[in-house]
Amino acid sequence: MKLLHSTRSVLQRLLRSPGSALALLFLLGITLAAILADFLPLNPYAQKLVNALNGPSAANWFGTDEVGRDILARVVFGARTSLLTAAGAVAIAAVIGVPIGLVAGFFGGWRDATLMRFVDVLLALPAILFAMAMIAVLGRSQVAALIAVGITGIPSFARITRAQVLSLRRRDFVTAVEAFGGSSAYNMFRTILPNSWSPIFVQIVVLCSVAILLEAALSFLGVGVAPPTPSWGEMLRTGKSYLHEAPYYAVLPGIVLTLTILSFDTIGRALAGILENRSEVVTPAKVGGTP
Amino acid sequence: MIGFVLRRFGQLLPVLLLASIGIWAMIFAVPGGPIGMLVGENATPEAIAAAEKQFGLDRPAVVQYLDWLWNALQGNFGMSIHGREPVLHLIGQRLPATLHLAVAATIVSLLIGIPVAILSALKPGSWIDRVLSAWSALALGVPTFWLGILLILLFAVELHWLPSASGYVPIWEDPLAALRNLALPALTLGVYVSGILARFLRASLVGELRADYVRTARSKGLPERQVVGTHIMRNALLPFVTIVGLMMANFIGGAVVTEAVFTYPGLGRLLIQAISTRDYPLIQGCIVVILVLYIGINMAVDVLYAYIDPRIEYS
Repeated sequence: MKLLHSTRSVLQRLLRSPGSALALLFLLGITLAAILADFLPLNPYAQKLVNALNGPSAANWFGTDEVGRDILARVVFGARTSLLTAAGAVAIAAVIGVPIGLVAGFFGGWRDATLMRFVDVLLALPAILFAMAMIAVLGRSQVAALIAVGITGIPSFARITRAQVLSLRRRDFVTAVEAFGGSSAYNMFRTILPNSWSPIFVQIVVLCSVAILLEAALSFLGVGVAPPTPSWGEMLRTGKSYLHEAPYYAVLPGIVLTLTILSFDTIGRALAGILENRSEVVTPAKVGGTP
Repeated sequence: MIGFVLRRFGQLLPVLLLASIGIWAMIFAVPGGPIGMLVGENATPEAIAAAEKQFGLDRPAVVQYLDWLWNALQGNFGMSIHGREPVLHLIGQRLPATLHLAVAATIVSLLIGIPVAILSALKPGSWIDRVLSAWSALALGVPTFWLGILLILLFAVELHWLPSASGYVPIWEDPLAALRNLALPALTLGVYVSGILARFLRASLVGELRADYVRTARSKGLPERQVVGTHIMRNALLPFVTIVGLMMANFIGGAVVTEAVFTYPGLGRLLIQAISTRDYPLIQGCIVVILVLYIGINMAVDVLYAYIDPRIEYS
């Protein structure tokens, strides 16, 4: 509840920095475009071969691709793919990672050792490789990409929650619940978790940028979201083949992708500063992989 | 010292075991299971039974796993399905290219990252610090595959200085050609990692700058260049070793994307090919080799770190 209560003041402090304000504005625009894409006069699938690889014009602001589809339309619908995949992946990571961290930190002992070993295995491979291995098993689809990216995010949530639990475990209000006979589950989910929201929330925002980057990287490698579904990574992959004829093809979607990643990162960093007085944020997937 | 190394390895053992089970089990994801892979999806029941017997697939799973593990430990991952060659042989062909790229990218990242970190740490909060911090954020946020495309557009398509697709040329055979081929991929990877390096080194430099020995050195009247160059750098570079090691380890497996941008024939591209052709023995082999290198380098870094920093105890 504390989080909801202070949402306004956090937002105010976010907007005070021009960088975060711009990032927030950009993300708002992208999200709205992704949600309202169906109502915009854009068709990402309409092919017009005579128009193939036309540069940016009044009719096609971002130009057209190799089969004459509107690149702007594909960027807008690609935003939907990217944001949905990222949201799903982060949800998977948080829903699995947070309870792992809670249990490991709360009980310690063999449960801690076992759970954290599993987390270590996830960290043992660079995120992009792990995701690729997962897709090799699951087959190529948007859901597979979502699951693969989500699993690579589990360790960061598990570790952050565990650290938070360890710092709260011996605090008076936790021991008080124990003394009154509150169950472990009650203590974990109703006492400790509500007091751990800020680092988890920061991690959610940061992981959004990582997830978008990873999904785009997978699509760029040709193992992510399958065509003809529009996706930013896939557009860069195809655009790369037409660098001589149509440089805008790979450049313009790349700008949108990069701005989206940078915006999430900027806001994550700013939130870390506001909510926890940290200037650095943990991005294991980034340190652990080079997408 | 030896005890420290052994203990460190002991901690890794469960991780390696779990990972190896996961990698081995991948084979069961093939349509029709491992047997479908060997005889095809439309084989007769008799052919399947014969193949099961021939390849030992009728044995209990535990036995099969141990058999696989034993072979893998000896570097035998079987034959590539599409290449019709031993997996280890295919990997061996690609490894030198990947190592070339890893070393070149590390050099680039150090050349960019260290000056950026020093310049911004000397005057925290100044305009130069803010500009360079923005640079680090940009270096980290720009996807390597897009940066690679931009570099190709500039240096290959517009200026015609460098090739747009990079082949592998051993540096000892033709240093100039090797550098021309490596320049763009190494720059792409190096810029990205310089962002991480600069952030870590800056943080550790800013911390050291506040230390007592720095004040002592300054009040002795040592020139600032010497205070930073010898006193501070020596301490600040310690944690840095870990990061550089981690980066090296990452380049080996994590350069997949950069290799794809420049069609560079490294280990990462081999893995992508293996995944797209569903060549499971090759996928397993690639992942095991990358994992072993990754963990091996990490461990070497740990040990090296403990060795060069006398404050860390082995126990």
